[in-house]
Amino acid sequence: MLEVTAISKRFGGLTAVSEVSFSVEAGSVTALIGPNGAGKTTVFNLVSGFLRPDGGTIRFAGRSIDRWRADTIARAGLVRVFQAPRVPTRMSVLENMLLAAKHQPGERLALSLFAPRRVARREGEIRRRALEILELIHLQHLADAYAGTLSGGQRKLLELGRALMVEPQMILLDEPMAGVAPVLALQLLDHIQQLRNRRGVTVFVIEHDMEVVMSISERVIVMDEGRVIADGSPEAIQNDERVIEAYLGRLAPDGKPEPGGTTP
Amino acid sequence: MDILNPAFWTFVALIAGIYVIFSLGLYVQFSLAGLPNFGHVAFMAVAAYTMAILVVRYSVSLQVAAALGVAAAVCLGLVLGIPSLRLRADYLAIATVAGGEIVRYLAMNLPGLTGGPLGSIGLLGPGNIASYNQEWQGLLDRLTAALSIPLGRSATRDLAMALLVWALAGTLLVVFWRLERSPWGRVLKAIREDETAATAVGKNVFAFKMQALVLGAVLGALAGLLLAWQIGVFSPDDYQPTLTFYAYLILILGGMNRLWAIPVGAAAFSLLYSGTRFMDFFPLSLINSGSRAFLRLFLVGLLLVLFMALRPEGLLGNRRELLLEK
Amino acid sequence: MLEYLAQLTLNGLITGTILALTGVGASLVFGIQRVANFAHGEYMTFGVYVALVLNVGFRQDLVISAVGAMAATAVLAVGIHFAVLRPLRGRGLVALSLITVGLALMLRHLLFLVAGAGIHQYRIDQTAVFDLRIIRVSPGQAVAMAVTVIVAPVVALFLARTSVGKAMRAVSDNRDLAGISGIDVDRIGAYVWLLAGALAGLGGVMFAVVQGPFDPNLGSQVLFLIFTTVVLGGIGSAYGALVGGIVLGLVMDLSTWSGFAGGLDARFRPVLAFAVLILLLLYRPQGLFGKARVL
Repeated sequence: MLEVTAISKRFGGLTAVSEVSFSVEAGSVTALIGPNGAGKTTVFNLVSGFLRPDGGTIRFAGRSIDRWRADTIARAGLVRVFQAPRVPTRMSVLENMLLAAKHQPGERLALSLFAPRRVARREGEIRRRALEILELIHLQHLADAYAGTLSGGQRKLLELGRALMVEPQMILLDEPMAGVAPVLALQLLDHIQQLRNRRGVTVFVIEHDMEVVMSISERVIVMDEGRVIADGSPEAIQNDERVIEAYLGRLAPDGKPEPGGTTP
Repeated sequence: MDILNPAFWTFVALIAGIYVIFSLGLYVQFSLAGLPNFGHVAFMAVAAYTMAILVVRYSVSLQVAAALGVAAAVCLGLVLGIPSLRLRADYLAIATVAGGEIVRYLAMNLPGLTGGPLGSIGLLGPGNIASYNQEWQGLLDRLTAALSIPLGRSATRDLAMALLVWALAGTLLVVFWRLERSPWGRVLKAIREDETAATAVGKNVFAFKMQALVLGAVLGALAGLLLAWQIGVFSPDDYQPTLTFYAYLILILGGMNRLWAIPVGAAAFSLLYSGTRFMDFFPLSLINSGSRAFLRLFLVGLLLVLFMALRPEGLLGNRRELLLEK
Repeated sequence: MLEYLAQLTLNGLITGTILALTGVGASLVFGIQRVANFAHGEYMTFGVYVALVLNVGFRQDLVISAVGAMAATAVLAVGIHFAVLRPLRGRGLVALSLITVGLALMLRHLLFLVAGAGIHQYRIDQTAVFDLRIIRVSPGQAVAMAVTVIVAPVVALFLARTSVGKAMRAVSDNRDLAGISGIDVDRIGAYVWLLAGALAGLGGVMFAVVQGPFDPNLGSQVLFLIFTTVVLGGIGSAYGALVGGIVLGLVMDLSTWSGFAGGLDARFRPVLAFAVLILLLLYRPQGLFGKARVL
């Protein structure tokens, strides 16, 4: 679904991402892990169009998107969800959801003025869909509350719901568990899995919590200092020397640390 | 002029109506799309000059000249907007004032094109007095004649003009009120709050901002044309940056984000403006009429500061939305 | 031809150094307070009129009048900072800009109300001219040059050598870092306003001296030249403003030289300055020496 070939990004003297290549299978849950500063969020920014790559190509669903604008990429089905939830605080939860709908002719100036009935009809459809999704993520009781009054975890749920409104084929989740209370975290986890299971949405997630990564992802891509250093199943990654070294710095003088529970 | 004179009130209403349209243009750009355009007056200037030049030099008819005036303002908006929409807020403010001042300086210093410091009178070169207003005055006369049937002697040109202006202003207010509450308005609201979020859900932020800018240009142009027709002459000095800040004051009086507060703000402003010009009671009688202009502008500045500082929600606003800062 | 060029260069240098001196204060203020102060021109005008009162009303010589102007404007600047700008700091960039616009309107028209719309002039004999063969220097320009030669190095030394000066540059450059290193950012902020006010007052007087007749619009005419100087040099960079002012002054005057394809008509010099400002904001907002902040 997503094919990234040798992309790079430099900021002034700093190379954030260097010759990174990987691909994400359709319908999978793939994790992107690595120590802080490895370039993971930069990769997300590059793939979703918020940054332009200095080199390399990005293909999504067979189309080359490395020159596309971020909003075009989102409309094409590759939706980005941010680490710090970006929900317009002075809009209500429902408005946030309605905003994200695709194909609302009322967003075109002329149609908004001259085709009010068509706009209203579509608005009704969108509203129903939004409320459905809100029910799914257990936020429907807050539909009319200002988004600014939501807790951090609730905002993350809202962003997830909003992403669903855009009818994505693939979602980029940036540290969805960070800073979320455990109860909500479980809900989030469940929703992420449902995304793939029920709706066939491909999930590409940056995450630091290893338990989460191991339990839900089929494939793990590991980055360090701007490069991909490992790419494979969760089990293989766990035992990969390079990965362990990246996370721990140097191997202990007396040999490798204990691998995580499985026989090598 | 005495406060009970209906001509005074007609005039106040007239100016208020024109400023409603002008401020509505700023409202679309600033309150809806979040663009601090400090050079809004340039749209007035470009439209008025284009219309006057076409009428005086090329004998173009009023409607066509007016339409082209609006088109010229739209062009200016596009030219300014395309590069500058990505600027940070205060840089955009500075760039737009600078842009507006360029327009004014060019108008001042290209007498061959614009009549120079003389303004519209000088459009036919030295020694001739140019006037662009005949057709409009003719239109007004017919309207006045029509009005005199029900109203008799109360039907003056100013009254006809005031009614025309308010008919237009009222229509525009309704149109933009609906737009604000439409999905289009919703996208703008999101853009105002968080452009990145709007982009992430697939909205072309640039296009929306551009639309708001162009709409603002159209409204500014209409206000400029109406003002030019009302006064009959203009010069570059009539398009100082101060006028843009009149519009800001009007928006501020209404609390910045309530469309229906604009007429209230415009009426208050127009009263302040004409009041200091025409009313002669104490303490205004202490200041001679030449200096009243300075007093007026001093008060505008004072009100800007006071309202921004002490009552940002304006005369009618509520603080609730204001408090939900990011 | 060459004489004309030399004259233009002199004029440009003089305008440039006035812009540079005022620009230093403005740049530091913009860098620290992070708000476009649309009233800066009016601070200059205020200084001009204080000096006028001293010079013409109290028959003081120009130096004392200028010093008085500097002191008065410094007090004005700091006063407005404490009374209006600091309490309202959290309102946002646009709100503060609008407030400074309001202050500008108030100041300018207060001066109009008090001083009247007529033009005034300092007691300098503007008709005397020093003819130095290739260039001619008016008394106003001579005074401006003398002031510059004395004041500019003092300001530069102050910024470079004294602890307050260094602290000012540090805060202007990176406010958070300066705060962490123990600098009392608030206090330095107040000092910066004092300096900026004094320089604005001085700059205004110098403009008035060079220009001859003036009215309360003087400041607003110069405001955008100051903005351009600040942006050109890099917002927050005091040395940048020094360089930027001189560059701008020279560019504006030299652009009228007939050697440059006929030269720009002198009336369009402000347009040139505006255009430079817009282009800078669009394509190189960090100017010559500023940091490329992510907008």
